[in-house]
Amino acid sequence: MAEKGVMTISKEQTQSWVRNFNPLAPGANARWPSVAGIYEPLFITNSIKSEVVPWLGVDYQWKEQNRVLVIETREDVKWSDGTPFSSYDVEFTFNLKKKFPALDGTGNWKYLSSVTAIDSSHVEFIFSRIYVPGFEVLSGQPIVPKHIWSDVDDPVKFTDPNPIGTGPFTEITLFTNQVWELSKNPNYWQEGKPKIEKLRFPAFLSNEQATLALIKGEVDWSGNFIPAIDRIFVSKDPAHNSYWFPKSGGSIFLYLNTTKTPFDNIDFRKAVSMAIDRELITKVAMYDYTDPAHQTAISGAFSKYRLQDNLILENWVGYTPKESIEKIQSIGFNKNDSGYFEDSNGDEIFITIGIVSGWADWIRAGQIISKNLDDIGIRSRVKTQDFGAWFNDLQTGEFSAAISWAESGATPYPMYEGLMASKNIKPIGEPSGTNWHRFGLDEVDSLVSIFEISSDEKTKEMLVDRMQELFIESAPAIPLFADPTWGVYSTKRFKNFPSEENPYAQISPNKTPENLFILTQVEPK
Amino acid sequence: MNKSVIYIFRRFLFYCLAGFMAITLNFLIPRLMPGDPASIMFAQFKGKLKPEALDALKETFGFSDGPLLTQYFEYIKHLFQGDFGISISYFPQPVLEVISSGLYWTLFLAGTSLIISFVLGSIVGIYLAWNRDQKLDSFLIPTLSFLGAFPYFWIAMLLLYYFGFILDWFPLRHAYSQHVTPGFNFSFIASVFSHYILPAFTLIFVSLGGWMLSMRNNMISILGTEYINYAKAIGYNRKILMFKFAARNALLPSITGFGMALGFILSGALLTEIIFSYPGQGYLLLQAVRAQDFPLLQGIFLTITFSVLLSNLIVDIVLLLLDPRIRK
Repeated sequence: MAEKGVMTISKEQTQSWVRNFNPLAPGANARWPSVAGIYEPLFITNSIKSEVVPWLGVDYQWKEQNRVLVIETREDVKWSDGTPFSSYDVEFTFNLKKKFPALDGTGNWKYLSSVTAIDSSHVEFIFSRIYVPGFEVLSGQPIVPKHIWSDVDDPVKFTDPNPIGTGPFTEITLFTNQVWELSKNPNYWQEGKPKIEKLRFPAFLSNEQATLALIKGEVDWSGNFIPAIDRIFVSKDPAHNSYWFPKSGGSIFLYLNTTKTPFDNIDFRKAVSMAIDRELITKVAMYDYTDPAHQTAISGAFSKYRLQDNLILENWVGYTPKESIEKIQSIGFNKNDSGYFEDSNGDEIFITIGIVSGWADWIRAGQIISKNLDDIGIRSRVKTQDFGAWFNDLQTGEFSAAISWAESGATPYPMYEGLMASKNIKPIGEPSGTNWHRFGLDEVDSLVSIFEISSDEKTKEMLVDRMQELFIESAPAIPLFADPTWGVYSTKRFKNFPSEENPYAQISPNKTPENLFILTQVEPK
Repeated sequence: MNKSVIYIFRRFLFYCLAGFMAITLNFLIPRLMPGDPASIMFAQFKGKLKPEALDALKETFGFSDGPLLTQYFEYIKHLFQGDFGISISYFPQPVLEVISSGLYWTLFLAGTSLIISFVLGSIVGIYLAWNRDQKLDSFLIPTLSFLGAFPYFWIAMLLLYYFGFILDWFPLRHAYSQHVTPGFNFSFIASVFSHYILPAFTLIFVSLGGWMLSMRNNMISILGTEYINYAKAIGYNRKILMFKFAARNALLPSITGFGMALGFILSGALLTEIIFSYPGQGYLLLQAVRAQDFPLLQGIFLTITFSVLLSNLIVDIVLLLLDPRIRK
């Protein structure tokens, strides 16, 4: 068992650890929690409370009709080597990303024209075009120290083996291929924090290994998916073993490729949606960990953004197979002799649902959908693929149907933009970050352009309302169930984890940078 | 003796040629396939990289658009400097570093359990052949063949659950405890040993039957030959007859099999490693395939190829020592 104050975490699954703490590293190759733990961002959006929490930044201001953003940085912060942190570090970090585009994974320089420190506590971001949502991205940027990184020749290939950060945990006290440890920052700026002495990361190669360790009480906090968690985990030590699976705010979707017939037909997509038994999916595939999707696809903490019920004019997320069949017939499709619908060429309609192999919950959901479709007379099958191949097909649009997530952010806006804005549509064969199903509405484009230039909350809410109406009208993708996040923990040795009773933050370690709230607030018992 | 040197030298040349061909194929195959590591890496950035960066990446991965022959010599040069390129999935870690972290543990786990299984299986096989059609023989043969047909990962899961989880006799994962310092000290060696027992046992358990059967069958056919009868008639004692005359000849086909198995241990213990979270390199290969990590794939293939060649060379030498007929 671990010593007092040492928290064991299961977050990344791997066979052996590779020493890389570069928070700007392309891909996701840096060890968790480099991005938010060793290094820190300027502001953190708390998605449970929908509020912006000042971190390395203390205040921000939009100027010149949202063309200029000024961020005031915190004065009393020190790097873990004792050097004071200042706005020059922020200036340096962003300009490093400009110089090495490979580090600009978040695409800041698509809308920025310059980042300059005005004095030691103010940074001025000048935008090349007005883009208010950029604040969320800019403020989440992990800041690296100028006095260390200015001597790094190639930051793209830099593995940052001995990181100097501002975060609560910065000291690598042990690093072997099967376990590594991260101790607290002696100079952390939040007085008296963190309360945890040390984080320990054993390498778990599989979900099963991590689950066994959780049951044995060897892991204190994890983001693993555990089937039948009440029976398998909680019942082993009901006083301490706990979990909280809050909804992230969005939904998991069934995407139909709208460049193909008959998926380009709005009514056909709605009919497919009406054939799906979401109650059964949440019960059988998701162990009742989540709820069937809402008509607006909004869930959890974002529910306050939902349209009022009297404005929701349609319901195509209920399980109504009869109406589904009628709807398909009403748009001119007929069944053949074997009882299956045919397209206009006389070929049977066939839906192939692509899912990542091993993602058992989604695969079960896919199998239920396939069965539901068969019931109304549409042929389909589930095709499991390796993640790389699956994601490639999705991005290049070379798929028939797929189950996947949607964009997320501080509001439901990014989800709708990702689902319906035509500016993200790429030709088939070219990879696209969002809008894999390639669906675009001109009106959404104009809403997006208004959204990008307004910093006023009322306007934003109105835009999100209109987007919901358009979503319901056009069914760009089919929401299946609210997207849950996994947070499993034991209160045997630590207290003050967020929970349903004390929802101060998202619990899942997978939610960066929000995991910083937990790292700074959990205490040893 | 002179003949033996020539024999070894010829085998060595042959393996050099095979190794050279493997290197060449390793160079050609990824270049013949659609897409290249740099483009895959490029795609991961989802259009956020400028085209100039693609060239820089290609350089990084050792892919240039120069003539194939120039690229080839460049590649050979890098190989001899021990430079296998940079892994994509572990970017920016060099392939050599990624592979070497797990290589020793795989060699240790799979290598020693192969040797134990081979030695134990062969000895039991010799005894069974000598005492064939007796009680032990008629019991062990079906039992071990039956056990050998078990999928080893299933046994591994069963052992892990019962002896590791329920009874708590053995650790659940890893190659050594996180509380000991790696080095030549008692607590570390004891920890490595206790972590070694379950995974090694699964590997030995399922392969034992195979070695034993092949040894027994070889032995039986040798025991029926004239020269054994002759030796028996002269009055050699049992031990000499069994080991010096019969087993030495019966061992030859088994040694060849052992050489093959030795070469494949680098890829063979994959599932055992996954189940026990053993820090070997088996999982790397799977991951490299999944992530289309060509440089890593190439690196692993090369280590496997060379370990097969090397172990075959060793087997040739061992056969030379065992079988005087080769020397003639």
